Amino acid sequence: MTIDMSKYLGLFTSEASEHLEHLSQDLVRLEREGNREVIDSMFRHAHSVKGMAASMGFEQIATLSHRVEDLVDQVRKRPEAMSADIADLLFASTDHLQAMVRCAGAGEAAPSASSLIERISERLIALTGAAPAATRVVKTTLSGSAPQPEPPPPSAPAPGPELPPRFSVRVRIAASCQVPGVRAFLVQKKLSALGNVFDLNPSVDDLKAGRIPEGLVTMQVETSSAEAINKALAVVADLESTEVTRVEPKSAPAKPPEAPAEVARAVGAEPARTLRVKTELLDYLLDAVGELLLSTSRLREVSKGVPDTYQPPLLEGVDRLRTIVKDLHNKVMSVRMTPLSLITDRLPRAARDIARKRSREVDLLVTGAEIELDRAILDELADPLLHILRNCIDHGLEAPEERVRLGKGARGRVVVAARRDRDRVLVELEDDGRGMDAAHLKAVALERGLITAEAAATMSDREAWMLCCAPGLSTAKEVTDVSGRGVGMDAVKRAVENVGGTLDIDSTVGRGTRFTLRLPLTVAVINVLLVGVGREVFGLPIAKVKAVVEADPQFLERSRRTPLLPHDGALLPVHPLGALLRIDRQAPGGVRPHVILDADSGPVALEVDQLIGQEEAVLKPLASPLDLVPGLAGVTILGSGRPIFILDVPRLQV
Amino acid sequence: MAKRVLIVDDAIFMRNMIKDIFASGGFEVVGEAANGLEAVEKYKELKPDLTTMDIVMPFKSGIEATREIVKADNAAVIIMCSALGQESLVMEAIEAGASDFIVKPFKAEDVLGVVKKVLGE
Repeated sequence: MTIDMSKYLGLFTSEASEHLEHLSQDLVRLEREGNREVIDSMFRHAHSVKGMAASMGFEQIATLSHRVEDLVDQVRKRPEAMSADIADLLFASTDHLQAMVRCAGAGEAAPSASSLIERISERLIALTGAAPAATRVVKTTLSGSAPQPEPPPPSAPAPGPELPPRFSVRVRIAASCQVPGVRAFLVQKKLSALGNVFDLNPSVDDLKAGRIPEGLVTMQVETSSAEAINKALAVVADLESTEVTRVEPKSAPAKPPEAPAEVARAVGAEPARTLRVKTELLDYLLDAVGELLLSTSRLREVSKGVPDTYQPPLLEGVDRLRTIVKDLHNKVMSVRMTPLSLITDRLPRAARDIARKRSREVDLLVTGAEIELDRAILDELADPLLHILRNCIDHGLEAPEERVRLGKGARGRVVVAARRDRDRVLVELEDDGRGMDAAHLKAVALERGLITAEAAATMSDREAWMLCCAPGLSTAKEVTDVSGRGVGMDAVKRAVENVGGTLDIDSTVGRGTRFTLRLPLTVAVINVLLVGVGREVFGLPIAKVKAVVEADPQFLERSRRTPLLPHDGALLPVHPLGALLRIDRQAPGGVRPHVILDADSGPVALEVDQLIGQEEAVLKPLASPLDLVPGLAGVTILGSGRPIFILDVPRLQV
Repeated sequence: MAKRVLIVDDAIFMRNMIKDIFASGGFEVVGEAANGLEAVEKYKELKPDLTTMDIVMPFKSGIEATREIVKADNAAVIIMCSALGQESLVMEAIEAGASDFIVKPFKAEDVLGVVKKVLGE
């Protein structure tokens, strides 16, 4: 039986990466709590990767994971043998395996694993006094040509038990069957209870969806006898015909016994309730649905100008279309929702590495990792979260001996907590370290010329803490290779704002610092307020709009040259949008709308010529060179077909 | 000896209809249950040869009940009563150990056909 392995490559890379990700997480847990259950789990993950890599013919991946498995097995037998060195070796191997799997998936040459394999082998010899067993790998080609069966190497362990015979099964579902998909699924289920199922055609997903051409289902089953299959099928209703024939093996099976089962589970017998989809495909779907939304708005706009006789049915149709498209949009968005654990699962490992490098001791606690966010937001957040964590451990936490002297526990504590807050997600990273001194931050910023003495004097603590996000400000006593040179927090703040979120910092000297990320659930559709200045139209994100007030600029109080608008018991600085954007126009006189917005520095009033309305906008990112213009968040197309810019309010005033 | 049947459905209408179908086919209906909780209890008490199981029911779904019954008795023969559009639920029930299924609205001869097939008659 020859199988073209190339079609399993995608599955191999994604599944192997998952196993390795878990292995890495287990390692962190092992160092902390070190119980039997964790070791068993590590063994299983390494074992799975070995099995998969061996049947794919990836010799180095299989060998290295085999060694990892052996080493874990030794630790299982002798927990006292576990040491920080072994942990480092296992960490390094897991990372290397990840890199090799990635390369294999991309079809690139993988970095050699020989030295790691060698090092683990030495360890194993030291522990057991014997050289580790060789790894059996299937020779295979990924181009689709037939793989060469390989005789087992002499040092390989004895071949597994004889494989059970295989039978080819052809079943035709009765044409009268109302739900052939479920019927076929039942057949597949009954037969997979007898043994491994291969070459299921149509695939499980097609079966479930009822896509069964002419009601014909074929598969191969590994089981004791044809009679067993006939007996299982005899009690299934609605089958027009069944046919069972024995498949003669073409050559002696050379695969490790677990390998075919692995593949079979992946392609056939697994109760697949989920489906892996490439993220690019999801991006495309979202894009396409976004275009659909825009086109529908355009149609709606156009139908308003249609003669009365045709208008009602046309509008009715367009409204129905709009409902469907909006529903579709919601579904696509929900498919894109991914749990936060996608990025937080990596944090414990990172915390361990940073702490080890900087001689800190840290306990990391993650809560709320099950909360879901748009995949696009998660992708943008991975690095910022990691950077904040680095800062917490590297700059926030004191060295263990200093902590003891201060009456704190030697081990620092970093808590990553996520929770839903209405339509937002709050992610907080909090350490119990030395905290940030607002006065010190102000002094440094002043010294570097980042703020004026006047600004420093009136600056609140909250604003002062945010100074650590200013480009070029790092107060760390020494620049470390872990935390870098103060460019980081600047980038973190930008990344969070780019996905429509905000970053807040709260700190108490001696007690610790808390970073709060307030994030939207999704990025793509935002409600915008359309405003006009001269003949230009701009969109302001409604989320930032606090109120709209009408006032005549002529009669406003002024501080120096800035007009001030009284609102909610405070005087807000007024910025004319026309002047900010340098729009050349004849400004209208008299009463004008002022949009009150939440900017970084607090509320501000934006003076505009007119309010146009509200619209649900599909935000499209700007392409180069427009993305370099400060103050523009993106572009959208109105129902009328007119493209407009969405303004990035916080950065507009800069 | 007539085969013994347990009927599980939260609608009395459906239970009566299914009962009549089984009676006409020469079966003995030994018990009825109106939800998944009752179904599991009645099954343990009566040990029927065959159980018909509605899927959507209060307290405990037919899928959950099926899972529990099959866990307690690997040889349990459970036939799911489903409607068009419930395909994914039926597949879930099959995963849970259901033997077969019938699709509402059903005709007496269809139900008896499936039942006889499943019982190997």
